[in-house]
Amino acid sequence: MASAGSDVAQLASKLYEACLNQFDSEHLFYQNDLRGLNVIPDGDIPLLLNCTQSLVDQKFFRLLQDKSDRLAWKVVPREDAEKLRSLSADESLVYSVIQSTGRTGIWVRSIQMRTNLHKSILDRSLKSLEGKNYIKTIHNVKYPSRKMYMLAGLAPSEEITGGAWFTDGVLDANFINSVGGFIEYTVSRKSWYEVPTAERGRAKRLKTATGKADVKSEQPEKAYLPFPADYKGYPTVESITAAVNESGITPVRMWEQSVVQLLEMLSYDKKLVALNDGRNYRALKNPEAVKASQARKPAAEGDEAEAAKHLVKNGMTEAPCGQCPVFRLCSPGGAVSPETCEYFDPWLSNGLGF
Amino acid sequence: MMSQNAAELCALLIEDNFGELFARIFSTLQRYERLSLPRLKFHSHLTDRQLHHGLCAMIQHHLVYHFTSVEDGITYYEANPQAAYYLVRSGKILQLIENRLGPYAAQVMEAILYLGHSSVSHLDILPELQSQRQQVPNGFAHDEESRTNGDGPDHLDGPNGDHVDEKPARLHPTIKALASHGYIIRVREAHFQSPDDNWLDAHRIVAARPHIKTMKGKAQQAALLEKTLELVQERTNGDLTERFMIGGLPRGVKRKFGHGASDTVNHNGVNEDHMVDEENEWSDDEDGFDTVPLEPGLVVRVNYEKLDVALRNARFIELAEQDSSSVTAEIYDCLLRRIEAKTKHCRDTPEIPREGEEGEIYSVPIHLEVLTEDVDPQLDLAGSIGPLEPFQPVNRRGKRPLENGVNGDDDAADTDESAGTSRAYKINQHLSLLAQPPYRFTSSSVVHGEITWRVAFRHLARKLRHQELEQMIEARFGDVALRIVRVLQAKGKLDEKRLQEISMLPFKDLRQTLASMQAGGFVDLQEVPRDAQRQPSKTIYLWYYDPDRICSSILEDTYKAMSRCLQRINFERERERDFLEKTERSDVKGNEERYLSEGELEKLQRWKAREALLLGVVARLDDMVAVFRDY
Repeated sequence: MASAGSDVAQLASKLYEACLNQFDSEHLFYQNDLRGLNVIPDGDIPLLLNCTQSLVDQKFFRLLQDKSDRLAWKVVPREDAEKLRSLSADESLVYSVIQSTGRTGIWVRSIQMRTNLHKSILDRSLKSLEGKNYIKTIHNVKYPSRKMYMLAGLAPSEEITGGAWFTDGVLDANFINSVGGFIEYTVSRKSWYEVPTAERGRAKRLKTATGKADVKSEQPEKAYLPFPADYKGYPTVESITAAVNESGITPVRMWEQSVVQLLEMLSYDKKLVALNDGRNYRALKNPEAVKASQARKPAAEGDEAEAAKHLVKNGMTEAPCGQCPVFRLCSPGGAVSPETCEYFDPWLSNGLGF
Repeated sequence: MMSQNAAELCALLIEDNFGELFARIFSTLQRYERLSLPRLKFHSHLTDRQLHHGLCAMIQHHLVYHFTSVEDGITYYEANPQAAYYLVRSGKILQLIENRLGPYAAQVMEAILYLGHSSVSHLDILPELQSQRQQVPNGFAHDEESRTNGDGPDHLDGPNGDHVDEKPARLHPTIKALASHGYIIRVREAHFQSPDDNWLDAHRIVAARPHIKTMKGKAQQAALLEKTLELVQERTNGDLTERFMIGGLPRGVKRKFGHGASDTVNHNGVNEDHMVDEENEWSDDEDGFDTVPLEPGLVVRVNYEKLDVALRNARFIELAEQDSSSVTAEIYDCLLRRIEAKTKHCRDTPEIPREGEEGEIYSVPIHLEVLTEDVDPQLDLAGSIGPLEPFQPVNRRGKRPLENGVNGDDDAADTDESAGTSRAYKINQHLSLLAQPPYRFTSSSVVHGEITWRVAFRHLARKLRHQELEQMIEARFGDVALRIVRVLQAKGKLDEKRLQEISMLPFKDLRQTLASMQAGGFVDLQEVPRDAQRQPSKTIYLWYYDPDRICSSILEDTYKAMSRCLQRINFERERERDFLEKTERSDVKGNEERYLSEGELEKLQRWKAREALLLGVVARLDDMVAVFRDY
């Protein structure tokens, strides 16, 4: 019996080696795959099952079941197996559940449902696993209040983090604004033709050719012209992505998908316009105007009057009625009426002040 | 049926322009709709004399429709709110006419506006149209006041020149010019009846026709509809444009290079202010071959529909100017003027169709060659568009960067032929630039192998509406709100999560803005329950933005704001009543400096400035009404 046991152990380790060497780590082994390895003499099925069982016991194999209830196995790398062997039964159960969800992570309550462990046991297991640095908590953007776990070695998927625009699960508005501003300026530089020196000389305006000298000259204002309609040089999504990644303003590499998201947002802000079904983008404002508006933003926030000046206006926003909080109640002879209106007088004197 | 706010505004406008009696009759008619004379008398508490006098004058001004029923022989009266509302636009109309056709034409137009409608023979004897040099009144809503104002200086100018004998020569071509633009139309009998009456009347007549009677079922319905429409159109058609157009062009507008390129003194093209001497030139031009006076019995009135088309085009140009160079805008102006001559009204349906259900209406296509002739040859066509290859002009000294290369003739561009084609090419380039997103002011099509350009009116009108809404949203809720609204508009209904992903806004900002916009009625929430119990936890909440609904509520608000401004003017006037009555005394008026003290003069100045400011806001609000209702 002892010899049979050692026999099984030897065969099992051979089988394990063969699996590791001949297949990649994610391969799913069925019974026939294992028999096909020619490790088990004569394809003896009971012996094979004995071997796999011992491997599963030693955590070298993971036992899986497919939809038609067929048994299958997956190889576990040696170091992971070591880890798993050091765990208690409850812990290893929890670990395997967390492992099964991969990069999406799993909610604590789902673990409880799947494992059917008591809450205190589950908590203890999670704590000990976290203490051993096998798992980590993650922050899900979609459900910020849920406590979720995933294996320590994995990076959370985009779905969980919300993509490149999130830092620690929170939308990073400053980051978005700075990248957005950079993109707008970059696109704008390629969407407008900067009149070169020779032509501007003809137009009797003194300008220098390089941007550097321009800043120093007395009239920093440059002349820009739109390109003809069939111009092909508007920046593409790829070139914008490349420019963003080269610029070094992002700590991580941006994927095109994230940049497209930002480009669409900028289009909704009427800063860019998508051409050719979103392959190219054109800026609506020329680089000078972009610079000016970006420089103004922080100043305008502090100074309300300054900000009000730049707002686009129409009749309704100008009239005192447009901003009146009790406009709906207003009627001649009523408690709020045009005769007793307190907004007209300041508005009139303000209007005449200009 | 008019809304309360619109009715209030119309009554105020009439009171402001014509006094209390008119306003009383008008608001009674608005409140009770159609009334016969005895009922009108009963409801308005006016005497017969007052009523007769008032109705007569209001019919003259088209403020009241009347209709005598064939069945009972009773004449019914009905308010015409459209005409009442257009009183507020008279200032803008006169401004437009002055820009297009010069101050004298504006004066003629003002006289017609003031009279409601008028026969040519009556215009002939009007004293203010006889002298050539006249102060052009500022004519906003208070035309008649400025008119009486204007008489003073005229007499002083009198000795300046005896233009009296020039009168028919100037007046008739001017009327012809106005008519050829379609700004004025012949008055038809049907114009005095409300559109509904006209329709019913025509319907009755058509239904009585023997060949319609013999038809049955759907065919009869269709034929009835078609013939009725035909009859109504025939009866209300007062169009004079075709009769007075010269070579398919309205007269009066000087072709910008009518005298060839040699005459460069007064055409700077870009600024478009060649109005000063234009007026003389064209009347000289045309007197040569068209001295036939108009028949004195021709009765004309203002055609607001056509003027709306012209005003709308002006708005398009304004919009185009924001994003394009002045040269491009100038070319767009040329295109739109050509199109204006062929466009009778802003849209085919009386109501603006719902967003998304609106089919496109294209203007008539205009051939590129025609435009090439129209555009001022002094205009620097090449200077305002960049080259196709960014670095080419540096090497070539940037003279003619692009079009020669494409056309293949290098330096031969000076010869006439190639200059012509490259001009057309350059103009085409400008128009293509306008056709670009986001606005797409123009669109091109090829008809019989020739390039033509046209304008998609409904799309642009929609852009104008959205722009007005967006301006209001930005002013009230900030730019975050603007982004949300645009996302919702592009994507339809969205739940909060998806909205957050697209707009890339933090949840906190998003929720706050959405909540305040919902309170303001700009966005709304739809609940979609996932089960029959309608539990909140199992319900999907979708945000949406409905521009139609917002437009109509903003339109009402705009009417109301206009009313409030006018009421405020009345209130302010009441406050200063004693003083203002003094300034309006017949001996003081016109001689203010002699009779009023310095302090009083200053006070008068201040009062005028206040009034102008309030009227200015009313005019700005009217711009919005035009966008939401008329364009």
